[in-house]
Amino acid sequence: MNQPNRLDQGGRLERATAISFEFNGKKYPGFVGDTLASALLANGIDVIGRSFKYSRPRGIVAAGAEEPNAIMQLGATEATQVPNVRATQQELYNGLVAKSTNGWPNVDFDMMSTLGKVGAKVMPPGFYYKTFMYPKSLWSTYEKFIRKAAGLGRSPLESDPDRYDHYHQHADIVIVGAGPAGLSAALVAARSGARVIIADEQAEFGGSLLHSQEQIEGIDALEWLANTVAELASFPEVQMLPRSTVNGYHDHNFLTIHQRCSDHVADRAAKNSSRQRMHRVRAKWVILATGSHERPLVYANNDVPGNMLASAVSTYINRYAVIPGHQLVLMTTNDGAYNTAFDWHNAGRKVVAIVDTRAEGAAAAVVAKAALLGIKVMVGTAVVEAQGSKRVKSVSVAGLNSAGDKLVGEVSTLVCDTLASSGGWSPAIHLSCHTGARPVWSDEVIGFIPGDTLQQQLTAGSINGCFDLQNTLIQGTEAGQQAVKNAGFSLEGEVVAPTAAAVVINTGMALYHIPHPKVTSRAPKQFVDLQNDVTAAGIEMATLEGFESIEHVKRYTAMGFGTDQGKLGNINGMAIAAKSMHKTIPETGTTIFRPNYTPVTFGAIAGRHCGELFDPKRYTAMHQWHLERGALFEDVGNWKRPWYFPLKGESMQQTLERECLAVRASAGILDASTLGKIDIQGPDAREFLGRVYTNAWAKLAIGKCRYGLMCGEDGMVFDDGVTACMADNHFVMTTTTGGAARVLEWLEIYHQTEWPELQVYFNSVTDHWSTVTVTGPNARKIIEQVVDDIDVSNDAFKYMDWKAATVKGVPARIFRISFTGELSFEINVQANYGMRIWEAVMAAGEEYNLTPYGTESMHILRTEKGFIIAGQDTDGSVHPYDLGMGWAVSQKKPFSFIGKRGMNREDCVKEGRKQLVGLKTKDPMQVIPEGAQAVDDPNQPIPMTMLGHVTSSYYSACLGHSIAMAFIRDGHKRMGDTVYYPLADGQSIEAIICSPIFFDPKGEQQNV
Amino acid sequence: MSDQNMNATLSYAQTINAMQQRPVTESGIVGASPLAHVDFAQLATAQSGQSSTVELTELALRTHIVLRGSLNNVAFVEGVKAVLGIELPGALKMHSAGAVSIRWISPDEWLVVAPGARSNEIEQGLIDAVDGHCAVVNVSGGQTILRLSGSDAHKVLQKSVPLDVHSRSFPIGKVVTSVFAKTQAVISRNAENQWELVIRRSFSDYVWLWLQDCCAEFDLVIKQDE
Repeated sequence: MNQPNRLDQGGRLERATAISFEFNGKKYPGFVGDTLASALLANGIDVIGRSFKYSRPRGIVAAGAEEPNAIMQLGATEATQVPNVRATQQELYNGLVAKSTNGWPNVDFDMMSTLGKVGAKVMPPGFYYKTFMYPKSLWSTYEKFIRKAAGLGRSPLESDPDRYDHYHQHADIVIVGAGPAGLSAALVAARSGARVIIADEQAEFGGSLLHSQEQIEGIDALEWLANTVAELASFPEVQMLPRSTVNGYHDHNFLTIHQRCSDHVADRAAKNSSRQRMHRVRAKWVILATGSHERPLVYANNDVPGNMLASAVSTYINRYAVIPGHQLVLMTTNDGAYNTAFDWHNAGRKVVAIVDTRAEGAAAAVVAKAALLGIKVMVGTAVVEAQGSKRVKSVSVAGLNSAGDKLVGEVSTLVCDTLASSGGWSPAIHLSCHTGARPVWSDEVIGFIPGDTLQQQLTAGSINGCFDLQNTLIQGTEAGQQAVKNAGFSLEGEVVAPTAAAVVINTGMALYHIPHPKVTSRAPKQFVDLQNDVTAAGIEMATLEGFESIEHVKRYTAMGFGTDQGKLGNINGMAIAAKSMHKTIPETGTTIFRPNYTPVTFGAIAGRHCGELFDPKRYTAMHQWHLERGALFEDVGNWKRPWYFPLKGESMQQTLERECLAVRASAGILDASTLGKIDIQGPDAREFLGRVYTNAWAKLAIGKCRYGLMCGEDGMVFDDGVTACMADNHFVMTTTTGGAARVLEWLEIYHQTEWPELQVYFNSVTDHWSTVTVTGPNARKIIEQVVDDIDVSNDAFKYMDWKAATVKGVPARIFRISFTGELSFEINVQANYGMRIWEAVMAAGEEYNLTPYGTESMHILRTEKGFIIAGQDTDGSVHPYDLGMGWAVSQKKPFSFIGKRGMNREDCVKEGRKQLVGLKTKDPMQVIPEGAQAVDDPNQPIPMTMLGHVTSSYYSACLGHSIAMAFIRDGHKRMGDTVYYPLADGQSIEAIICSPIFFDPKGEQQNV
Repeated sequence: MSDQNMNATLSYAQTINAMQQRPVTESGIVGASPLAHVDFAQLATAQSGQSSTVELTELALRTHIVLRGSLNNVAFVEGVKAVLGIELPGALKMHSAGAVSIRWISPDEWLVVAPGARSNEIEQGLIDAVDGHCAVVNVSGGQTILRLSGSDAHKVLQKSVPLDVHSRSFPIGKVVTSVFAKTQAVISRNAENQWELVIRRSFSDYVWLWLQDCCAEFDLVIKQDE
């Protein structure tokens, strides 16, 4: 197939490999070595999308990251959709499928184009601010319109099949950008033996050298480039990252580098390979050699396809062998862009004219070269307007005064299809801005250069406004030397920068916005930010409406928003705002850039932290048994705890009733391994316990267990559990499952910051022990069968005792503590034997219908006993007295305890606090929803006076009625009162306040 | 608080509850590692004879004992040395002698790793040998060890650990406790291309899933614990 704009020779292409790609449903040919953009241009495709707001046809403008229009939706399948890809950065591969992001339903015949003017009216500049000022109800209407019309890409509807990686890196020197400055710095850095990372967003290293016609060290720049890349590759400590965009420069010299590993190869990554990798790099020193972006000029209809950046035209010709048109008009404010006209001419197509805005024109040698090639040069002239809709057809030119603010003489027309413009170069200071550095305006550079930074950072090359090759190589070499020294390395011998020919040029002109015969607001649109459809008139209007801060102008107009980040338009926009306010650019200031430099996929951000690996799942030693038994699981912290064990055909409620009744009638078994366990040792262990728990510990004897409440400084309960005295200086504390890590941290904080004089060590043994809880009237009969060596009778082994024992040959610690109110034994064994002992106990319990139960039945059983769960029946606002657990507070301890002062504050001891009580519903079958609020009178007008909420609520099969625990204002004094729980459906549940201990109030069952 | 310490005259062993944690050898009872469900032995057999740039071995059912104490506590320092024949290593170091090693964890904490069969002997030996304010805590059931070896093993760590694992900052014999993916690990470099991760029991399945995913590009090979 014919590629009309492809040159027969040249370019860095593999011409032997002809490939094809699909764009908006049509197939086109291309070559390996193309970008999607160069292939589109080669095929003569002018319109690649429609604009955001006005739905105007748009073409490719640039050749790199600064491209504002060619934003593509990529992906051959639904699952591999990638939005927001710049065609200029996407390498072509065989079978690539791309669609225009804008343009609906297609770019050539756009239904929206008739609506375009409506769109403009709906969305004048300031849309964002103005809609927010209007009634909120309208936003949804506007939003729909924006979403549909703007169409800035879409997410895939299926999950991404590819793998993404994170990669942690550490380097002595990170060099951002592999153009002449970065490469010359890297050569020096590499030779010092330092660990060097050099990253470049492009497929090949070289930057501007890739389309340069200059020489370095007496050889062609491309040859020098090849030699340099080969030399760098020979250093073991140098890592070269092509296709890797340094997207963020964060505090402490931390950089995020987004590497596209296989996006250039195929729609999907190869099996087992990562599609993209996010390098998370800690650098000692960073050299920013990020280069600069050419600045277009602002004139009427400067968005019609065929308007391009001058350097982009050169890149397409020299690097991709693509000539994006037939007749060129070049408008420039500087000498450098003349090369574009020469490249065009040498490619064999017609240069209509070079329009130089400067009265004095270019340097003599440059002018002579133009004359030699027979190219017409018009000085002191500017293009004021382009004509055409889907392609430039002609341009209007007129004389321009030396200040660049007035036209002189008549307007005349030049016929052409391509208008390349260059307003000079803007240093790519984005990463510098990420560090918080304020950019500094330079009149000499005609641009902002990096400001001072607190980071360990150097800059080299055109980011500093250094635009000639020799000085760029010198700056790179010097930055390399400095970084080597700063990072603590040294170099042998003299370091000499690579040499390039000196170039004499005339000074460029500071020009941004070309005047038009009509005033800006009446002239055809003059675009500043092509991606966000911000015009010169829009910016002038913003200043007229009183937005004086450049940050406000930005937000008012949307200039530099979104994925564009103002790469092309920002300086022009600021210049127009400044001029409109009769200020200088430095007075107006600049907006700064934030990460990311270019869009990053969610995949690269998430890395492999997704799917099964999103959050760790913690398992007990008995998990396999639970799985095989068909348990459903509940997340408690990161633990997977059995929730309930349904038998075939059972509903959840049926399961719970069966499990609870089995426990009360015979025996149940619970995997309690997840409870936090902390081994506490030291001469002051007991004293420490007394300070962190609310109750007394001084007299707890060896072999005994005690329940304790732990409070914050505010006196509010935050955890609870049983602690056992193992020996004089030795305790084992249990915590809630979810609170284990926090409690250990709490103990360490107090030990390390408040009471370092106390001799005590805390060690987590949560994972070390497996805990098998056997509970129910027949628990002892089961335990007797598995215990080899001790007497477990009530006389020998009392409630709240613990004993060392051997269980089926495995050493164990058994605790007689109960969370069900039944006779209970908690067997703890080293977790490697947990499954074995669980199975042994199950076998022994067979004749007693030993029933495994999960957390849900555990909740019902403990609620029947009025046992709280910290975190469910407490919420950080309740102290032990609110819970009716004053018995667990010892106000008489010689040393204070954490929370003592807090719980005695005025507000904590006053009348009217919400207190924990039990509830019995009038209708015994009705279960009050947890969270429901109590009121005294359900018929009072809304908002009702609320008395407190229900914390735990279940149907108790053992008791035959529903039970609940709830907070009620002054509840402890209101036993027997009736309260009402109005529900969302208008009904109201009537309940009577009672003690929260519904079952066995005297505690006889657990003591047998 | 020494005036409140009524037990100053008792030895360390008398003030704590020591416990034989492991069934006696004659019982024939064998424990199950936290990764028992993976069945590394079967995987290793299936892959026997294969090699890769990343190889994984579980060092299962070892004795793991946490030591807490001060380097100023001579009885503690000397006691450990007497039992294990190894000096307590300084910051970020690991000392080994044969199959027994000590990893530095924090300024007052070390991890002893030894063959599983020596659990009771070593724990009791340490408890009896040390004195003063210190702690000897058996955590053998709570963790396991994964050994990564091969020329790409360091890359697996780079995917998982924010620390610098380059030999210039992570030489052989170094040990750190750090974040590993979304859990933690005690990471040591035992040889140029050999690393060990001490991981917690309850997180071990997560680490195994993570490692499989990280190692996809290297064709992970499982090796049997010799």
